[in-house]
Amino acid sequence: MPESAWGWLIVTYLFLAGAGSGAFIAAVACDLLAPDWSKALARAGSLAAGPLVAVGTSALVLDLEAGLWEPWRQFYLVFNPSSMITWGVVILSAFIPISLLYAAALNEITFIGRYFRKYVWHLEIVGTVFAFATAIYTGVLIAVINGVPFWNTPLMPVLFLASALSTGLAVAMIGAAIIDISTIRTLSNFALGHVIFLSIEGVVLLLFVFMSLTRSVEAAESAMMLLSGSLSPFFWALVVVVGILAPFVLSIVEYYEYGRMPKYLVVGADLCVLIGGISLRALIIYSGTAPQVLA
Amino acid sequence: MPRYGIAIDTTKCIGCHACKVACQNHNGLEYDQKFNTIYQVDRGKYPSFSKEFVPAQCNHCENAPCERVCPTGAIYTSPEGVVLVHRNRCVGCKYCIEACPYKVRLIDHHEGISVKCWFCIDLVRQGGEPACVTTCPTQVRIFGDLDDPDSRVSRFIAENRAQPLRPDLGTKPKIFYKRS
Repeated sequence: MPESAWGWLIVTYLFLAGAGSGAFIAAVACDLLAPDWSKALARAGSLAAGPLVAVGTSALVLDLEAGLWEPWRQFYLVFNPSSMITWGVVILSAFIPISLLYAAALNEITFIGRYFRKYVWHLEIVGTVFAFATAIYTGVLIAVINGVPFWNTPLMPVLFLASALSTGLAVAMIGAAIIDISTIRTLSNFALGHVIFLSIEGVVLLLFVFMSLTRSVEAAESAMMLLSGSLSPFFWALVVVVGILAPFVLSIVEYYEYGRMPKYLVVGADLCVLIGGISLRALIIYSGTAPQVLA
Repeated sequence: MPRYGIAIDTTKCIGCHACKVACQNHNGLEYDQKFNTIYQVDRGKYPSFSKEFVPAQCNHCENAPCERVCPTGAIYTSPEGVVLVHRNRCVGCKYCIEACPYKVRLIDHHEGISVKCWFCIDLVRQGGEPACVTTCPTQVRIFGDLDDPDSRVSRFIAENRAQPLRPDLGTKPKIFYKRS
């Protein structure tokens, strides 16, 4: 495995930011579009979004060095508009409070929630913009780097957005099953979402890996590491089979077997999506290789 | 203002690592921290074999990727064209390490900041030259003003058609190599 300056803390952050923003989008979509029987999913998604992104952001802060033990230095983080981290700090500082407020408003938690209940619609619109911004920015963060040719492609934000939407929906569905297990039958309606998001994710991943094979020697080296090299067992088992194929098949069955699928398979499909989501982030970070400067 | 750069003649390099050690001494680095890396490039098979030593350090790119991605603005270019790190501003996010195509940056875990070659600007401002340049027994490196066409470094680059590493990356490095 090649040395990367970023490790598991950044992987955790990329995954949680994606899952949290995806859960927010799932909650909003469900609250606006789906009828009353699906309110558990909107509530679960809204409750999970803010805390997930907040925990992810703490992982990001823990990865700092001087900025961690001299926290006032973090004030400087917003000073360079040409840096994606500066944009990320602004986006996260907006999204975390908005998503927490949305969770309070939708679930009418405390007087704050009751007060903001009438502004739910506004929070949904603004929050969705920032949720998409969070999901896309995590991809742009590593896509603008020309120090790692494998990451340096516009497909990266698309892949991260697709993964964020599928993991977010998975979080919301697991949450709905926890809040109210009787809704597990109605969750079959949302299996169609998994089918759509997972197919997009699969196609983008296919494009990303195959185009990397001819993009540059370094990108090809990284791609081969995933396809047949040292990371290939993880890539094929965790990302392709567990992360995409298994939940894809399970979701199709779930959609047609409406409400008759065993509970553990419904939740199991969602857990598979989450394992695939974090494995995808980890493998992309760990397979990055530096440009061959001596060529 | 001068615009400092270095020309490196790899055909003279014997791989003794004196530049690396002189740099570590001057900058008070630990034994496992280095601003200079000496890569070895092997070509051919014995007996038609050659080994090339390529010393690498911060290229002080004019279009520095590290400076562009640094969120705190801790990385800046001095008037002499030297890319420097503001020690009290860096938070240690390591974004610059990922962004640098030449991978010449490292984290100093004592101060928790990103560090790298800084052309020994303390010596240079007193009229001297960087430690790696003065210490080299075979005089591989030539330090000087790239804007002055009569400087030794400019003449060497012109005479030998010296090229930076990976000019295609568009970072406009200020270290030029004569490799054959």
